[in-house]
This record gives sequence, C-alpha cells and structure tokens, in this order.
Amino acid sequence: MQKFLRSGTLTLALLASVAIPQAANAFQESPMLKAMVEAGELPPVDERLPANPTVVDAVEVGEYGGVWHRAYRGPGDRWGPTKLLEERVLKYVPDADGNITLVPAYIESYAVNEDSTEFTFTLLEGLKWSDGAPVTTEDVEFWYKDVFLNKALTPTIDPTFSPGGEPMKLEVKDDRTFTVSFAQPYVYFLNILAKDSTGEPSLDRPSFLFPSHYLSQYNDHYASAEELSKAAEEFGVQRWSDLWGSKGPVTSWWQNPDLPVITAWKIETPAPGNVVTMVRNPYYWAVDQEGNQLPYIDRIEHRLFEAADSFNLMIVQGQIDMQMRYVNSSDFTFYKENEEKGGYHVGTWKSANVWSFVPNLNVQDEQLNKLFSNKDFRHALSVGIDRETINELGFAGLGEARSVSPISGSPYFNPEWETHWTEYDPDLANELLDKIGLSERDDDDFRLLPNGKRLQIVVEAYQDFAAPILEIAADYYRDIGIELLPRIIDRTQWDDNRDNNNFQIQYTPVDRLSVVSADPRNIMGNDSYAQQYYAWYETDGEAGIEPPQDAVIRQIWADWEKASVAGSMEEADAALNSMIGAFVDEGYVIGLVGEVSIPVIVKNDFMNVRNGLVEDDITRGVGLGQTQQFWIDQNKQ
Amino acid sequence: MANFLWRRLLWAIPTLIVVSFISFIIIQLPPGDYVTAYAAELRNSGEYITAAQEDAIRTQLGLNDPILVQYVRWIGNILLHGDFGQSFHWNAPVSELIWGRLALTLLLSSLSLVFTWIIAIPIGVYSAQRQYSILDYVFTVFGFLGKGIPDFLLALILMWIGFAWLNIDVGGLISPRFEGAPLSLAKIGNILEHVWIPIVVLATGGAAGLIRVMRANMLDELGKPYVETAYAQGLSERQVVWGYPVRVALNPFISTVGWALPALFSGDVITAVVLNLPTTGPLMLQALKMQDMYLAGAFILILSVFTVIGTLLSDILLAWSDPRIRYA
Repeated sequence: MQKFLRSGTLTLALLASVAIPQAANAFQESPMLKAMVEAGELPPVDERLPANPTVVDAVEVGEYGGVWHRAYRGPGDRWGPTKLLEERVLKYVPDADGNITLVPAYIESYAVNEDSTEFTFTLLEGLKWSDGAPVTTEDVEFWYKDVFLNKALTPTIDPTFSPGGEPMKLEVKDDRTFTVSFAQPYVYFLNILAKDSTGEPSLDRPSFLFPSHYLSQYNDHYASAEELSKAAEEFGVQRWSDLWGSKGPVTSWWQNPDLPVITAWKIETPAPGNVVTMVRNPYYWAVDQEGNQLPYIDRIEHRLFEAADSFNLMIVQGQIDMQMRYVNSSDFTFYKENEEKGGYHVGTWKSANVWSFVPNLNVQDEQLNKLFSNKDFRHALSVGIDRETINELGFAGLGEARSVSPISGSPYFNPEWETHWTEYDPDLANELLDKIGLSERDDDDFRLLPNGKRLQIVVEAYQDFAAPILEIAADYYRDIGIELLPRIIDRTQWDDNRDNNNFQIQYTPVDRLSVVSADPRNIMGNDSYAQQYYAWYETDGEAGIEPPQDAVIRQIWADWEKASVAGSMEEADAALNSMIGAFVDEGYVIGLVGEVSIPVIVKNDFMNVRNGLVEDDITRGVGLGQTQQFWIDQNKQ
Repeated sequence: MANFLWRRLLWAIPTLIVVSFISFIIIQLPPGDYVTAYAAELRNSGEYITAAQEDAIRTQLGLNDPILVQYVRWIGNILLHGDFGQSFHWNAPVSELIWGRLALTLLLSSLSLVFTWIIAIPIGVYSAQRQYSILDYVFTVFGFLGKGIPDFLLALILMWIGFAWLNIDVGGLISPRFEGAPLSLAKIGNILEHVWIPIVVLATGGAAGLIRVMRANMLDELGKPYVETAYAQGLSERQVVWGYPVRVALNPFISTVGWALPALFSGDVITAVVLNLPTTGPLMLQALKMQDMYLAGAFILILSVFTVIGTLLSDILLAWSDPRIRYA
C-alpha cells in the first residue's frame, strides 16, 4: 500500500516534470504562499499537500490571488461565511448536467457494508491541519470519546447519530482508517453526513474530526479544573463548556484564529469589526485538474451592513464580487438595470424553497382546528388561490406555481405531486366549502362558522415583501367567502408564535426539498404544520399533543421509520416516496410559488461561478458552487 | 446657587436607579427572550435546537432567574467592577463594542449639531427681523420641508442622487478600498465624500425645527419696550438685536442643550441604519431586536445618565445666563 502510493506520487511528479520542465514541484501554489516558503515561514507545497490530493474539477483552470468582497449581517450571520468553506467527508457537487452527486472530499476512500450498518473511511495520506499538524485517527478518537460521548459537551445525542436510540460506535483500524457502525441499517447516513456532518459542537463541523492537539487543552478529559476556568475567563465565558459549540469562542472557526481547520480559508480578522477577513489555508488538501493547489482566491472580506437598501447600494456600486445571500428576488430589476454601472452580471440559481401557507393543525381555536384537520377544507384553501398572479406580482414571474414537494432535479421529484391542487378553481373551492357545512353567509358575503362567527383566518409573515402577496391572497379568499387577515410581525414574535402553538396560518418558505432523505423533519410536521404532534412523537408522548388514531401523519412517521431502518437503498426510497406521497396527497401544507430563480451577483472579473444550480440548505447553499475553484481575473479589472 | 446644585445632584441618584430598573424591565417585556431570538436565528440557518437545549442555554445565561436577581447582578457588576457584562449576540464584552463605535458617533453628531446651530440661529433671527419678506417665505418653506421629510427618507434620496448622478461612493463612511489602509490625504478625502450625506441629513432635520423656534421667540421679543428703548438710545440695529433679544430668545436652546448629549451618544438610529454607518445607533437597535439584554441595557443606562447630566448642565447654564432663574 505504502509502496504503491509512493510510486503513484513518483509518476505524477515525473509527468509534471515532463509537462513543465522548469517546475521543481509536482504542484503549484499561490504566489502569496510561495513568498512565505522562500522566506522560510512555510514548508514547500509538496510537503504541505497530501500524497494524493483530492482533485476538484474547476470550470476552467484559474489564476491565483485577489480578494473576494462580500457583505455580512453581523454575528447572527455565522452561516453566511461558513457556507463558503464547509468540508465534509463527502460533499454534494454538481455534475455537468447540474445533477447532484456525492463525492469523497478529504478521504481517500470509503466503504459501506452489505446491510448499511458499517461505514469505513480512510483519510488522505499526509492530510494536515491548517497549522501543519497531521490529521490522524487520533483526532477521530478525540472527537468520538472526548466530545461526542462527553455529556458535558453533548448532553443529548442527536437522533440522527443514534438511530433507534443506539449511539453510533467507532472502531479505529490504523492511523488513517476508521469504521463507524450502527445497531440497525442506515442507508441515508452518507446523505445526512453531507448535510449535517457530525453536528455540533463546532461551526464548520468537519465530519468525525477535531484537532485534538489544540482542543484537548479546553477539554475536561485532559485539562484540570483550574486550567479550564482560566480558559473560560480568558475568553470571557461563564464556564468551560461554553467555549464549545457553534457560537463557542474556541470551536467556532470564525471567532478563533488559533483554531486549526481543514477548510480552504481560515479566519484572519474576526467580528466584531466592520470588516471580517478570511485568508487561505496553506495546507488545504485539494488541487485543480492541473495540480494547482486550491483555493485560487487569497482572501475573503465581509463588510457589515444593517439595512437591505445599503446592501443593494453596495451591489450596484460594484463593491460586491459574488454573493447570493441577502440578494433579493424582488429587487431583480434594480440589479439588472445597474449591471453595466457596477461591472457585474446577474446570474440565477434555483431556490429549493416553496413559499407556502402553513395551516396549524394544532391551532387552539376549536372551530379552526376542526377545519384545518379537514382535507376538503385544505383542498379549498389550495385551489382558491391563483398562483400565477402571486408569481407575477410577488416574484416578478421568476418562480412557478407548485405544491410543497421535491423540486426538479431532486431524486424524489414527481411531476404529479408538483401540480397537486395547484390549478386555480374557485368554483370547486366554493363547492367544497358548501359541502363541509360552511354554506351560511353574512351580509358581507363571508361564510359563517358553525358558532355563527365570521370565518376569519389570520395569516402571519415576518418579511416586509410578503405584504402585497398576502393582500392578493386575501382578495382570492374573499371570492370564496373566507376573510384572510394579513399580519406582518417581527421575526422573533413569529418564531415565538410557532413555538407556543399560537398561530393560525404562517406564510413561510418551506425548504429542504432537494435531497429529502437528508432531512425529512419538515414533512414530518416539525417546525411546520404540526409542531405539537411532532413534539409528541419525538418525546414518546411526554410533550405535545397526541394525533388522532386515523391521522395520516402517523403513516408519515411510520414510513420514515421504515425508510430509516431499511436494509437497501431501493427499499428505503420506496418508503420515503410513500411518505412524501402521503404528505402531498393530504395537502398539509399549501405550496404557492417555488423553484424561484434567485439572483446571484457576479462581478465580470469573477470567474467559474456556475449558473442555474440548486440553492438548498441540504446541498449547503452557495457551497454547491465549489467556492475553492472561484477565481478573480486580474486582467479584467 | 450651591444649594441649588446640591439638590439637583442628590435628585439625580434615585432618578438613575429608577430609570435603570425600568429600562431593564422594558427590555424584557417583548415576548420571548434572547434565547428565543437565538433559536429563531439557528432555525433560519438550518440548525435545530431542542427545547431542552434552549432551556440549558437560558440557565447558563441566567435568564431563568427572577428579574430582580438578574437586575441586581447586572447593576452590581457595573457599580462594583465597572463591568457591563457580555453581549450574548456578539460574544464580546459590551464595553468593547460600545467604545469601538463611540468616537465616530460623537464626531458625527457633534459636527451635525454645530452645523444645525450655524444654520438655524442666523436664519431664525433674519426671518424674525424681516417677517413676511420673500426670503422669510423661502426659509419657511424649506424649514417645513426639512421638518416634514423623515430623516431616513432624505438619506435614501441623497444616497440615490450621489449614486446615480454624482457617481460617488455612498453608504458607510469609507470605500472598501480604503478600509484598513493607512491614513492618507486620499483616505481623508474619501471619508469627506461619504460624511456629507449624514451631516446634511442630520442638520436639516434639526435646523428646521430650531429656525421656527428662534423666529417665534424673536418675534415675541422684538416688540417689547426695551427694544424700542435701545433704538431710541441710538444703537444700531445689529447692536440692538444681537445684544438683547437674541440672548433672551436663546433660552429654549439652552434649556434643551442638555438633551443633545444623549443624542450625541446614540446619533439618529434609523438614519445610521439606512446609511450603514458604523456608529452606536445600529448596534443599539439590533441589541433591542435580539433582546441582547446587557448590550441594550448598557445603552439605555448610558443614555439615561447622559440625559440626567445634560439636564443638570442645562439648569446650570440657564441659571448662569438668565438672572431671572438664578434668583427665582
């Protein structure tokens, strides 16, 4: 094995020396790093890279250097910068046709056993942390024993990593190879890894890894109580465990410049500042197709902004090199008008969100509770709206009328689901409402509830731009005798209402509709149409509300349980499809407009940004575009 | 006079205690707390947090203690250690966050205050002297416009003009290319290019109101017998106007100068948000929205202290400038 690998490197080196006689190295690096090597501050690039670096296929081979300017929104915007550089053992990448595939990242190989209970991974040979220390299975063991199983840091193990209640087990084979295993088959584990990785407590969440040589000083299995309280004081937190987590001043990559990482960039100037900067990681383990060490771009700068208008001004003044986050579909025309002036162009990605009405099945109002649980009533609400108008007026025609179901390009896409109950048909809506006993009307022609009160539904949203959309919907609902009362409220209040079961209908973008298997919780009612039912399900009946025996949501949960223990991918997908089918057929959530083309701002000298990719949390947002192969053409300034 | 000062100072203490307590409670009045806002933020970015985890964070931040306990802990740390606590949201000491933005805030607001006075007083005096003249009407129209247009709207309009017609960089206080660059003439020029918008916006709004006040007060004074007497003594118009009525008419200015202090500290919040200025205002707004208690509390406390001190200063100045008050 060793021998084979060495000879592999040798052939590569030979090839390279044939191709480029002047190059002493098999690999090339950024001039910025070359200068550091010449000054004796860094080892040469061949010693920094793994023996066989992962190859990331760049759209075209780029040039090194430059600063990528973007904007961020303050400390709450941790994920904006993080999604530019997340690493997982396996990552979703787009193939030439835009389909999403899963490829190994900082591992040389992986294997799954027959019944999907054991997953074996081998780390790249010569993989290093950003401070040059080698990454080995010691780091994996540290992550498992001292963090994952450490009650002080992980008080409850996420069900994702303990299917059936048995936490995942780890077995280390040698210093590069390890196996994780589960008590039951787990066919979707790799998809889940690509999205959630191995979870908290950190921010960029490299799967299975924590830099033990650095983090052990902040861990109670290694450091004494005095050392820990001293560290807590130094970082200004109450107790040592607060140093950890995605906001922890030690383990959150974007707050701690000393934290060793394996990402393409690392933090240089953390917040609170008006400009947060990140700088390239000299030990990053991937190269392009010609052996140039990635990333191409040296630095990323994020400027702080507060109001959407000031961000839009930054864009049209050409101060933003490439950004999708906070770029608003409703301002599309404004961006297009100023393309020339700002020296950028507007690309589009496809959003995996569907803007929807989410009726609360657990609503406290008894009258509405009965209605929302009634399939015919939901059917009427769904066909009672003309989605085309909403799309034209609310989304500049950039979306399409659809239901809440997997989006095009998803392995679970189904055209029949997509158009389920989306045809505008006010006659049918009226007929359905009459049929369920709401035929009585008042003087204003609104329907009356059985208790004699007018049928009113409060729909709340927290986005300012939702107001016109709710007004249009209110007009359509008036035609079928329902009074919709729009409310734009504060985001915190909106979330509070959802947590405390204090809403009737919420208008919201429903996401995670690409690779549904990676996160089906929305469809199961969580944070959505049946928060209380889901709480009951999740806590085995300790909290929440028990659904009726004949409720379809029970079938949805049963399908997911079947999928999550299935022994083969086919069996699992069949169960998953049955789950989505039941959810769509019930019309629990009323999808309005989805697959919206969302604008992406790209400066004309900013290269290799693919167009038309899917934007979803599951595929890690902008990360799907493979930021490490973006480059800035210095000749086009 | 000394007696008067003592009384004032002693009253300031209970006032501050009550204000700090009330502000602490007001911050907590909206539904939910910082953890609710934090959980919402997490959800927004695809993270999940269970109710048990939320509660653990609450306990850890001391949000589950009775409000009185929280208040005593907070105010105790401030009084005994000068420690304003940590901002939950920024994960940084409150004092560090505020100091970082204070210098610029003070600079901007004092500049705009000075501008306000330079514009308002002469115009107000002129308008009163030449009542119903063409210029008086012009100033009145401008004054009402300035008063009527909300600051943030004016800021947006000026930014648009700057961007669309003048081709200058707008928004913020400095262009990205100068950010972090050493101080140079070009950099100062760049700051000046940005700084005029906030100053114009802040000064026009304030000046419009002051012009009206000044004009009304002057009109009251100009008809009084002592003014006629002064003219009869053969003094020139300038000597008369600036020597007596203006001094009397300035009374309202002096009695409200104290309130300029807290305004100096926070600046105009909404304008700063729209213009994306790195001042304290946007920070305060965000702290209140996120229910980041210690940061918001520190802001409100500092503002209250400034208001109390400012009022005290106003009283002293008034007593000093107006004998009628001193001997009342």
